[in-house]
Amino acid sequence: MIQKSIIMALTLTVIIITGCSQKAPDLNANTGSNNVSDANQIAGETVSIDENAYGNENGANSGTFNSSSDGFQSIYFDFGDYSVSSSMENKIAENTNIVNKHNNQIKLEGNCDEFGTDEYNYALGLKRAKAVKDSLISEGIAASRIVIISYGESNPVCSSPTDSCYARNRRVDLRLVK
Amino acid sequence: MKYILLILLSFNLFAADATLKIEKDVEQRTRIALIDASGVVNNTFFKILQSDFKISGHFLVDKTHHKGDLNSNYLLPVVKSKDYVLKYSLSQQTGTKLMIRLLKASDSTEVYKKSYAIPTKNKMPFLAHKAVSDINNVLKYSDISWINRYVVFARYTTPGKSEILLADYTFNYKKVIIKGGLNLFPKWADDKQKNIYYSAYNGLKPVLYKMNIYTGGKEKIISSEGMLVCSDISKNGSKILLTMAPEGQADIFELDVSSKSKRKITNFNGIDVSGKYIDDESRIVFVSNRLGYANIFKKSIHSSSVSQMVYHGRNNNAVDAHGSQIVYSSRESQNTFGSNTFNLYLTSSHGRDTRPLTTTGANQFPRFSTDGSVILYIKHRGAGSSIGYINLASHQSLLFPLSGRKIQSIDW
Repeated sequence: MIQKSIIMALTLTVIIITGCSQKAPDLNANTGSNNVSDANQIAGETVSIDENAYGNENGANSGTFNSSSDGFQSIYFDFGDYSVSSSMENKIAENTNIVNKHNNQIKLEGNCDEFGTDEYNYALGLKRAKAVKDSLISEGIAASRIVIISYGESNPVCSSPTDSCYARNRRVDLRLVK
Repeated sequence: MKYILLILLSFNLFAADATLKIEKDVEQRTRIALIDASGVVNNTFFKILQSDFKISGHFLVDKTHHKGDLNSNYLLPVVKSKDYVLKYSLSQQTGTKLMIRLLKASDSTEVYKKSYAIPTKNKMPFLAHKAVSDINNVLKYSDISWINRYVVFARYTTPGKSEILLADYTFNYKKVIIKGGLNLFPKWADDKQKNIYYSAYNGLKPVLYKMNIYTGGKEKIISSEGMLVCSDISKNGSKILLTMAPEGQADIFELDVSSKSKRKITNFNGIDVSGKYIDDESRIVFVSNRLGYANIFKKSIHSSSVSQMVYHGRNNNAVDAHGSQIVYSSRESQNTFGSNTFNLYLTSSHGRDTRPLTTTGANQFPRFSTDGSVILYIKHRGAGSSIGYINLASHQSLLFPLSGRKIQSIDW
């Protein structure tokens, strides 16, 4: 019975592989002969823009992007997770105290490890930033003072292929908006 | 039992990976030999021609790099067994010039003759693509003009920095068009490939720009707190699907580009990203973690009900669509860290006819060609990465090595 089934399957396989025939057409010698250049659509030169020369708005890349600045402490997350763990509650409280010493807006930057693809990783980083924002709001900080952004996997502080390194990249950094 | 065997054998049959070569219609494909009449032989150009003929699915190209004369109709006996012979001469003294003659191998009859010229040397691969696509058309095979298109992609340079580049599909041509800052998620804005959308993450809020790649002129489309990605564009370019978070929550929106009016399509207190139009653009597929892990779902733009599309895999976090065809990446190993197997699957908007397209490595960033006939993807295997192409009709696949920096997002 099994042997019969295998023969049937192989027969089907051969039929599918073979498919429909597709013979080379027989064309006249003069068809399509010409000598004109027909590459205009790829000849045009495209731009080359260096945005380093433009500067960056609001100091987003001020050189301190690898960790929190202005006395804040980064909040770290488990793999694939975006809830603030109990082990991070002390850091939330300390960060709240620092916020209360300033009048500036606070920027929360969500980050991820490299184990995700494009859009999903940026959304995961955003969820982390939103979770820290909600924690700060629950500590009495006004929502209007907080700006969140996700940098996905674009801003690692560690690039070694180790679990501890990956854990350092799953974080939210806090900064004053200056 | 026999049905199970039939299903298993048929399912594996369609896995078209570089490691699993399926030579469909070998007897039926047009056999062609290449004769190089260039003053200075360019092996890269020869290899690009070979790749172009192969990925078309219509040609069985001779691997020998024959040398000969362009204008003579004499053919070596060894190539007379082919159907056609392509004689070509490439010159890069000033710019790039290419002359081609297509001859019938049996009697040396000239079938096609053409010359091409562009003022730059670095765009040489595009002349190969154009010539092969023209020959393909002359022989009245189904269109392969996708090989003439630019690929646009973003790659990371240093932490917090990226650049956006153009490439030909083989990545032999590459050019940085935006460097500096953190500019991400480039997406072609029109069929003519004159404009791209991209997201600039250089301030407090990400900004979506539309930029002309020839003039550099750019227009601010919209900004959003948190994240902002242009995920898909309607066929006529009038509407775009965005992942954005105006209230700190990533959801999918449809934006009318002219009026700037937007409609919220998903509303979930988790992650909804990567919206892609399907069918007649009244519905979308997207990636969501509403079941606790990344998976593929679909919904109508005009109603709230959501349907799960994929029922396998531990993490299905990338999707693309063309009409009713859907391709997605599915994680099929359990490593939290390190190497994982991600395979590509092709399915339909009805969820039928699902079949694997790859069998090894981590295969991600699947993107349909404009005609839906070919899928581009990035393959990571071991320490190396490649850009891959799968011709869905002929099951031909190609891999071109990628070196250096990590690709962030890609479109073509």
